[in-house]
Amino acid sequence: MQLRNRTYGLFVELGRAPTIAETAAATGTTPAFVRTAWGRLHDAHALVLHPHGEIKMANPFSAAPTAYRVFASGRWWYANCAWDAFGVCAALHTDGRIETSCADCGEALTVEVHNAAPDDETLRFHCLVPAAHWWDDIVFT
Amino acid sequence: MNLFRSEEHITRWLGDRTPGTTLTARQLSDLAHAWWGTRLAPDWRPRTLEQNQAILDGLGLTGQFWNLSGS
Repeated sequence: MQLRNRTYGLFVELGRAPTIAETAAATGTTPAFVRTAWGRLHDAHALVLHPHGEIKMANPFSAAPTAYRVFASGRWWYANCAWDAFGVCAALHTDGRIETSCADCGEALTVEVHNAAPDDETLRFHCLVPAAHWWDDIVFT
Repeated sequence: MNLFRSEEHITRWLGDRTPGTTLTARQLSDLAHAWWGTRLAPDWRPRTLEQNQAILDGLGLTGQFWNLSGS
């Protein structure tokens, strides 16, 4: 788990997903070692990788811009979904601001998260995929 | 796993699709904090399916939809 924890640590330090090369350099290993270890983490659902081996998701963080933007700990992050957007604040143990839009009408939605509670109780979250099938296609989920 | 202005917007967005399940923003935040709160902990270890299920159960998220094993 050391490489996994260091990978997440690098994500937070950099404010973005570390590359294979950066992670190898930071851990005193080789790109081949990181590639293999990340592959095992991908298989264990602890990371989600692109086909070329770089990080796509380190849940709750997204490596690429998404519709869920979170300002927390002094910088902007991207989350993979609404659940993960709150998860960014949870993982960082901090308040934050979530910016997204209603998936139906596109209206901009801003949620301030303070002491783990959202400031807008009127919003609703919908999960289409039952829990047993979340990892059938995690990107769709 | 999307956020909506209200339940009415969810109904419109779903159209003919089979609904999943809906949570309030507070329920979602509680779930996210229980689920992701230890993600950056130095002693983090992968949770078992049973441990994940216990988190859902503890938040009252029970029933077939929230059954991780599908059994």
